[in-house]
Amino acid sequence: MIWQDYQIDSTISKATEDITLWETEKGIVKIEKGTLAIGLKLRDQQRGYVLHGHGELLLDAIVETEEGALGKPIEKELNKPFLMLGDTDEVQQHLTTANKEDLTEMDYEDSQKFVNEAEDLFGRLFRGRLYDYRCFDKHDGFVFAFPSEADELSILVTKDSKLVYKAEGMVFVSDRNKAVLKSPNEVVVVRGGKMHVVKKHGSFRHCC
Amino acid sequence: MSEEELKKEMHKLKEEMADLKEQLKDMTERKRSRGIYIDVGNRIHDYIGDVMEGVAEGIHGELEKSIFIGPRGVRILRKGEPYRKEEEIEVNFPKMAEVMSALGEEHRLKILAELMNGGKYVNDLQEKLLEITTSTLSSHLKVLEEAGLVVQEKVRGRYLITIPGRTAYKMARRVTKFVERGNNQ
Repeated sequence: MIWQDYQIDSTISKATEDITLWETEKGIVKIEKGTLAIGLKLRDQQRGYVLHGHGELLLDAIVETEEGALGKPIEKELNKPFLMLGDTDEVQQHLTTANKEDLTEMDYEDSQKFVNEAEDLFGRLFRGRLYDYRCFDKHDGFVFAFPSEADELSILVTKDSKLVYKAEGMVFVSDRNKAVLKSPNEVVVVRGGKMHVVKKHGSFRHCC
Repeated sequence: MSEEELKKEMHKLKEEMADLKEQLKDMTERKRSRGIYIDVGNRIHDYIGDVMEGVAEGIHGELEKSIFIGPRGVRILRKGEPYRKEEEIEVNFPKMAEVMSALGEEHRLKILAELMNGGKYVNDLQEKLLEITTSTLSSHLKVLEEAGLVVQEKVRGRYLITIPGRTAYKMARRVTKFVERGNNQ
């Protein structure tokens, strides 16, 4: 299946050991040994994977201000297929071809079922946004798309210290001493410990 | 100097004073004609004070109609929305009790005091609170976390005091000072 220049592999692999896909002081995405993987290629270059197995997302969506911390840590079990675009070198080194038992363990009757899942996920992320992502390079950071229990997509985009996480009811943007935390009732903007809060009902607060 | 010379000198000074007065009169008229002359004399500070007070009263009057300025910031009220006083806001007594209970332990207050200076790892806190064991420290941190007074980063593991935690600690400290002061009177 091809979306513009992207192509989904037909070969299914599995992780030979636990792999950390992304790690900074703000968050970690890791998968366990045995996780199934199907490659995503852009003009024959490996650019990402759709992964399905057991894994974990940890993200400290916490903002430190002079008045105290706000926000919360996010812990998410990754037991549904999710998508990763970015540097695949680490993953590639720890993959081997998956067999029928590996697929059965993740409730797939055959490899085509997993390919279909991957296509569906890829299509949901890229729908209407093909142009934005088609030039994505491994040096452009990481893009993750995690389906939630409610089948909504949570998106994590990171590059170096920069991070954007969008999930149901929240957006978290962080870059060193700057951060924005949007929840259903307020938007908090922090820069160098100084905080501005805009509440849904119309109040504005500046703390210095 | 002789008496004659002194009289001449006085006369000369009188003439110079008259010239200066004339020049000052010309300058005043020139300013008045350009429309920038304001005769406030020596009471310029009073005049500016009066003007500023008038402006401030005007702004305050306008703001009072639509904005409530409280201790926690500015609240812009929607048209027709009444301002609810603190005592009119519904109190969650069980949560209040949970928060107060979390504050009601000396070591937990000491933990908050340490965290007021910035995020800390458990080891850092343990070094500062040598009188309690690691397991007691963990259980205190759990109580504080459940009450929403501290939050733990999952990646680095640091504990941070939250905004409510900082406010609660300051409040507890202030109340204690009031009580101590009251007892000493």
